[in-house]
Amino acid sequence: MANDDKSDGLNRRGFLAGATAAGLAAVPLSKTTNVDAQESNRASAPLPNSMDAAMEHEIPGGYTGEQAKNYFVHHPGSDFMVDVLAALDLDYVALNPGSAFRGFHESILNYGGNRKPEILTCVHEEHAAAIAHGYAKVAKKPMAIACHGTVGIQHAAMAVYNAYADRVPMFILAADHGGIEDRTSQVLWTHTARDPLSPIKDYIKWDDYPRSLQHFGESAVRAYRYALTPPMGPVGIIMETVLQESDVHEHGLAVPEVLAPTLPLGDPNAIEEAADWLANAESPVIYADRFAQDQEGVDLLVELAELLQAPVVDQKGRMNFPNGHHLSQTAGVVGQADVILALEVRDIWGIVNRLQDAPDHTLTRAAPPNARVISLGTTEVNFGSNYQDFTRFYAADLPIAGDAQSSVPYLIEALRERISNRRASQISERRERWASAHASRRQASIDAARYAWNATPISTARMSLELYDLVKDKDWALTAPDNLHGSWETRLWNIERHYQTNGTSGAYGQGYGASSAVGAALGHREHGRLPICITGDGDTMYVPGVHWTAAHHHIPLLTVVHNNRAYHQEVMHVQKTAAWRQRGVDKGVEPGNIIDEPAIDFAALARSMGVFSTGPVASPSELRPALAQAIDVVEQGEPALVDVVSQPR
Amino acid sequence: MKGQRCLSVVLSIAIAAAAVVGANAQDDARRDGRELYLDFGCHQCHGFEGQGSQASPPNPRIAPTPYPFEAFAAFVRTPVRLMPPYSPNVMSDEQLRAIYDYVAAIPEPPGIDDIPALRDL
Repeated sequence: MANDDKSDGLNRRGFLAGATAAGLAAVPLSKTTNVDAQESNRASAPLPNSMDAAMEHEIPGGYTGEQAKNYFVHHPGSDFMVDVLAALDLDYVALNPGSAFRGFHESILNYGGNRKPEILTCVHEEHAAAIAHGYAKVAKKPMAIACHGTVGIQHAAMAVYNAYADRVPMFILAADHGGIEDRTSQVLWTHTARDPLSPIKDYIKWDDYPRSLQHFGESAVRAYRYALTPPMGPVGIIMETVLQESDVHEHGLAVPEVLAPTLPLGDPNAIEEAADWLANAESPVIYADRFAQDQEGVDLLVELAELLQAPVVDQKGRMNFPNGHHLSQTAGVVGQADVILALEVRDIWGIVNRLQDAPDHTLTRAAPPNARVISLGTTEVNFGSNYQDFTRFYAADLPIAGDAQSSVPYLIEALRERISNRRASQISERRERWASAHASRRQASIDAARYAWNATPISTARMSLELYDLVKDKDWALTAPDNLHGSWETRLWNIERHYQTNGTSGAYGQGYGASSAVGAALGHREHGRLPICITGDGDTMYVPGVHWTAAHHHIPLLTVVHNNRAYHQEVMHVQKTAAWRQRGVDKGVEPGNIIDEPAIDFAALARSMGVFSTGPVASPSELRPALAQAIDVVEQGEPALVDVVSQPR
Repeated sequence: MKGQRCLSVVLSIAIAAAAVVGANAQDDARRDGRELYLDFGCHQCHGFEGQGSQASPPNPRIAPTPYPFEAFAAFVRTPVRLMPPYSPNVMSDEQLRAIYDYVAAIPEPPGIDDIPALRDL
């Protein structure tokens, strides 16, 4: 079929031109899902008209009109700002309080009733941003955060960068004292900037500094749409203090209708050509990074992989593919590929090549020389250039820009048209090979887990698999990456559902694990799931106060601290460098790298913030009862922490 | 007869003493090997029991060692992948041998059937 199309003149050059012009246009997707999404997100501004009526306010008894004007604010602008957030269906605003948004804060409480948005009290803006990050991936909707325009934004900056690199939406509200008449002390001058969002401007999708309430409403809706249009990302809106605190003087305030954006699809002709390549490939391999946005994405990838009997390498930017499926394979399969399909993969160069971390930086090609690469995703719809998270450039043979999950149904359809019964029979012969490889790898992992099972410090295998044994029949959900403690969850937990893992941090900034977990757990709460965060001691110490937020808001979350008492990756880096330089390690590599002497008592730390905790658990025999006790607490609706003194990796 | 018995007793004591000395020497060697294993930071990547890790970067299991000494030594001196080389300038042949003897003697862990959390996977 595709060949017929090409004979009509749609050659490669043609569809590339089409991709630029049409492939990124907002194309309505499937007949049902996108329309449903639009309908469910169609919201109207609840109160702007009533605001008009309310502007005719009464003068309190005993005051003259002039006195009332001087003393009181009857209908502050920040009430309208709360209306706007409600129209955007933002359920929460995570914040550390700041005087620059006292008006907004008061409006949430007394005008909005602390509902939609509801305040999540945070003890650091970095927690607020990371909570919003973790929440959005579970709840499938953004969370707002509110910050001081200068110091608050600077505190939030690192966690915003994680969200940006992870392509996760976040609605950032920053307060600023725009007019000098409002800057009543030197403090307020230091909390003011000409461009308050400048510290994070390189890694947010869009921002604005509205000069009126109507402007605020329109920019907020625009920002919301931009945040949710793939590639998703954080957006920022300034809340100017006078605008928040003064009486509303604008008439006819209205919030534009809020519609979820339709999704950009890959160029249909390019998808047809991709189907040609894949249907005729002898050893196709699929890579998926930030591909699946929900369970439908997982199911689509299973369908696609089974159609081709193609191994899938889940790079874990999202939960993309069930790890128990026989086509779930590891990166080594690229060496056998003749066609590689990369779905929302940020680092295609790194799939095809290996650059060794050694003094000579040896470069080798991992993929066969003739392997062709199809990229499908929005990674090339880039919106930043300073921060280099876009990775090294690789010229894919067939680059298709468009939302991969939305485009894959069309790829599947095109493949079905091309795969005859005879071809399907040939393809099915691949199954045994991958099933055998999968079973062997799983058995090897089980065997590997028994080594050091009874060791002290506790092995990472035992830490992870004793826990799994306790929760495997419950509705659990992991919230943090597992690559720093042996990847045991990926290797041996049965991960089937999209919500059971929550991807990676994006930018590998410390503090993500512990703090994003609180947001993820909040998203899981309404579903009654058991959220589990296994994270390191180093990560935890970046954001220890986030456990207070979990306790304060009764967010059930089991945190297991993989406490190897070191920034262990850095231990290995310095040790490796010393070996390269032939200086030995007899002088030790601990200074700067270990978190010991004194050892941190994470259980005491958590307890001090109202979190149930046990530990330090140093003996393998103490581990299981400690975990079981903590699980009981979480199942009763509260957070719990277990400090496990563990092997380095 | 009496003389023979005395000789037998003396020999038994000598053998027992030699065994104790041998055991002590083995213990000393094992302790030295373990100390070197830790001093050189082998455990940082390969674990305290040499169990290895699939964490990033992945590191192979080295105990109970499946490799002959020559292969083990070659890998330490001239590794081909992520591990840095430990040259004789920083780790002598004797130290390398002591580390090898230590990891080779680490006992086998329990079997999968003896670990319920693994058996039931």
